Amino acid sequence: MASMEKRLQKELQALLRDPPLGVTVDSDKTSRSLSEWTVDLEGAPGTLYQGEKFQLAFKFGPRYPFESPQVIFTGSNIPVHPHVYSNGHICLSILTDDWSPALSVQSVCLSIVSMLSSCKEKKRPPDNSIYVKTCSKNPKNTKWWYHDDTV
Amino acid sequence: MVLCFMFTWPCVSFYLGWTAVATWKWIANDDNCGICRMPFDGCCPDCKLPGDDCPLVWGQCSHCFHIHCIVKWLNSQQINQLCPMCRQEWKFKE
Repeated sequence: MASMEKRLQKELQALLRDPPLGVTVDSDKTSRSLSEWTVDLEGAPGTLYQGEKFQLAFKFGPRYPFESPQVIFTGSNIPVHPHVYSNGHICLSILTDDWSPALSVQSVCLSIVSMLSSCKEKKRPPDNSIYVKTCSKNPKNTKWWYHDDTV
Repeated sequence: MVLCFMFTWPCVSFYLGWTAVATWKWIANDDNCGICRMPFDGCCPDCKLPGDDCPLVWGQCSHCFHIHCIVKWLNSQQINQLCPMCRQEWKFKE
């Protein structure tokens, strides 16, 4: 088994055994090669997203965990948030420049829940319409500018 | 009167040698490598046998990884070479 699959196998077992609050791996939609996962997220209680359900699609390349996974929101409910484009792309530095192999599916999910939780006003990014029209399918090909650490 | 005789056969064992059993353990501040998530007592996913062929290394920040894991990570970083755990500049502990 490739080292990427070994690590993903461990992560999957840990997440199924002991999932953090509001994070559920859809093991039926997780591919047999483990290279694509679907994770269900719930908006945290006491935040603007309380009671909402979201879905994240993870894609792992053969160099994972030395290379970040591709992570986008998918499904019918894309959160309205200043760092989430309406096509599901997420502007979050740990998904590109600040990736570390010590991060994991679990820590990425928790970062995204936390990013949603600190939001004070539900709105799309200011450049949403132009971005969605012109971006690559893979958000990792986007050269992101990370300029707002408050949300 | 019935006399009962009990015979006991000598029981002789031959010990032809002895086998020593020992365990070993890396002394690290965690149980698993933060990069591959394999136990430190095991080896990285690219190796077959734990031990001297798949040693651990420490950074000056005190974080510890399989040498193969951290070298793979450092080689994949062109600009800054940071510790995966604490993001301080990675320097091998002398």
